[in-house]
Amino acid sequence: MSDTPSTFDAETFRAAVRAWLDANRPSDPGFLLPQSMLAVATRAQFDFLRAWQRTLYDAGYVGAEWPRDYGGRGMPAGTQRIIDQEMARAKVPFLVNAIGLSWAGPTILRSGTEAQKRRYIAPLLRGDEIWCQGFSEPEAGSDLASLRTRARRDGDEYVVDGHKVWTTLGHFADFMILLARTDPDAPKHAGISYFLMPMKVDGVTVQPLIKMTGEGGFNQEILSGVRIPRDALLGQEGQGWELAVTTLSFERGASEGSAASSSGAVESAADVIAMARDLVRDGRPLLEDAVVRDRLAAFAVEEEAMRYSMLQRARVPGLVADRPLALPLMRKLVSSEFAQRLADFACELQGYAGTLWVGDPAAIDNAEWQRSYLNSFGVTIGGGTSEILRNILGERVLGLPKSR
Amino acid sequence: MITLRYDEEHGLLRDQARRWLAERSPIAAVRKLADDARGDDPTVWKDLAGLGWLGLVLPDSYDGAGLGCTHLAVLLEETGRALLPSPLLPVTLAGLVIAHGGSDTQRARWLPRLAAGEVIATLAHVDPSGAWSLADTTATRTRGRLSGEKHRVLAAPTADVFLVSFRDAGTATPRVALVAASANGVTVEPEVGLDPTRRSGRLRLHDVAVGDDDVLPMDAAAIFAHLLPRACTALAAEMAGGADALLTMTATYAATRVQFGRPIGSFQAVKHPLVNVLIGVEGLRSLVYAAASALDAGADEAECLARMAKAQANDVYNFAASRGVQLHGGFGFTIDCDVHLYFKRALASRPAFGDSLYHRRWIGDRLIVQA
Repeated sequence: MSDTPSTFDAETFRAAVRAWLDANRPSDPGFLLPQSMLAVATRAQFDFLRAWQRTLYDAGYVGAEWPRDYGGRGMPAGTQRIIDQEMARAKVPFLVNAIGLSWAGPTILRSGTEAQKRRYIAPLLRGDEIWCQGFSEPEAGSDLASLRTRARRDGDEYVVDGHKVWTTLGHFADFMILLARTDPDAPKHAGISYFLMPMKVDGVTVQPLIKMTGEGGFNQEILSGVRIPRDALLGQEGQGWELAVTTLSFERGASEGSAASSSGAVESAADVIAMARDLVRDGRPLLEDAVVRDRLAAFAVEEEAMRYSMLQRARVPGLVADRPLALPLMRKLVSSEFAQRLADFACELQGYAGTLWVGDPAAIDNAEWQRSYLNSFGVTIGGGTSEILRNILGERVLGLPKSR
Repeated sequence: MITLRYDEEHGLLRDQARRWLAERSPIAAVRKLADDARGDDPTVWKDLAGLGWLGLVLPDSYDGAGLGCTHLAVLLEETGRALLPSPLLPVTLAGLVIAHGGSDTQRARWLPRLAAGEVIATLAHVDPSGAWSLADTTATRTRGRLSGEKHRVLAAPTADVFLVSFRDAGTATPRVALVAASANGVTVEPEVGLDPTRRSGRLRLHDVAVGDDDVLPMDAAAIFAHLLPRACTALAAEMAGGADALLTMTATYAATRVQFGRPIGSFQAVKHPLVNVLIGVEGLRSLVYAAASALDAGADEAECLARMAKAQANDVYNFAASRGVQLHGGFGFTIDCDVHLYFKRALASRPAFGDSLYHRRWIGDRLIVQA
């Protein structure tokens, strides 16, 4: 890519990205690909997706706006959004190092030392080093600040002991963004520190967890006497909660600044219609049913409202002046619940066929909608439950008192 | 996808309207007018004319401001938020019909006077059967004499002129006629409506003389096609403002009303439904401004977006109203709480220019065909 910022033209760039994706999309690997980064289970899936990320990085499409000094391409603001939109449109596979690209990377870029940025960013962008997030624990989910994993300073190292859970990509990760308590005597939020912890070292035991879809993809880790270097600390001791809040804000939808956010195809009402074209109920085409049309129309209205909210109105200051935090804070909540109800409806439309599963020859689209519906709970629960997000919206946007 | 166009001048209009309404039509004034026989304030009407808001979207060649649908949405969002009791909406819609479907003579005769607030004009298109598209009409003109009945005519008791949909006997094409309230054979009976902030009446026409000069040259179906998306967007904007007002009002109450030693808004059973109202309102505003931008750009998507906005507005405003009452507790159930005024406006606005079933049927059919 030879465009410099001064000669950048968005439409030309978009056309170039589109053409490149059409020419370079990977061919079907012959095995089932996960629907999102939440379900990458097998080595074959991982290698395939990582190779794709490397290809995209080498073409300049990952971390396009990030500084060249750290492995980005230094492109103008808005470039990555164009790339992400085109990737979604082309329905190409997602970027496997999603946690690195959207959460760990931006946090390091914002708060890391020069040495940390130079060490970690480029391999993260290329997918050479994979990242996972070590925040939640069996006893610290929504109440993350109650976490118990300990990081004890010992000379030039920290020694980590604890138990992390819901760790997506933990089985493939090279590094974990780790929240651990460095000061057990400090008040709850104040004693937490943020580490860039290597995963493939002694003391880290990764155990896969199986989701209700039967897929792997996330794990629990037992951390037992894990020794990590002092410079694995990000920021200062006791600054962990503040840094975590930054990371979580990226997770919950403030995705401006992520290195790429293609997270897998987003299903729409039009996709349900395509699926339902040949379905029949009581001897008549399902799509002729007035009730079905009404429900599809309701989804379409909701979807259009979401699209215009997130892609357009969120960027027009005059139109968000009264409640500027509302749209960014509700993004994940709204889209995840929409996707859940849509997938549920799609299953319902299929009748008995909707009760088949992946691998059955009579399953429609290899049970894609059944998988989507089951997997949708990973999104309404993870990254801030819908209940917590409603609390946040109520408190930060509507000014309601905290729930105690 | 339509690009939303919202500039500094739209923001200025919003700020100006909000300030003016807070001063000239605070909720206390709305409550008072709700019990009033006439139901609106003639001095406020005069001021609206003076501000140029009655002719906001009328051509400037006829003393209007010549502005677009986004400006109108901005203004109506504020008047909806304030629950302004006035014939602003029906007069605006009537003006759009005359501007689009009238002859030059008719435009010159009526539009400047509408803009100046000298004449209150309103559409009379709802048939006693409930059919409401301009093309569905049982009113008939026979040898120059128009007879029929129209219901749900907004501002009918104070209107000076009606735009009446009808058919000439023995013809198929529906038309629209200008009928003076003072004409022989015209009777207006005020309706006892649910919503005291927007009065309406039944119009009865008995052998009213209507010459061809008073018939709009454009046929009613063509007029309706032009009017519907604009009316839907206008109403949806108004409803978005009202829903937002309910949300603010109810959140304020929840933050201050103390029970069990804490503000009730700290309980999730109160907080979460309010957040659901917020989500609805935010989605609705996006559709309103998408529709308005589409109309201003003359885009093909305009009709679909306008219908989506109206469907969403019906559901969101009424949901906001039901939560508004419920979450104000016993107080919310009485007339002493302002919520009931918005609640009634939400209900009364729902069937106007299409309830959600109506619009979703069109949207659903289009989706299936397009996909």
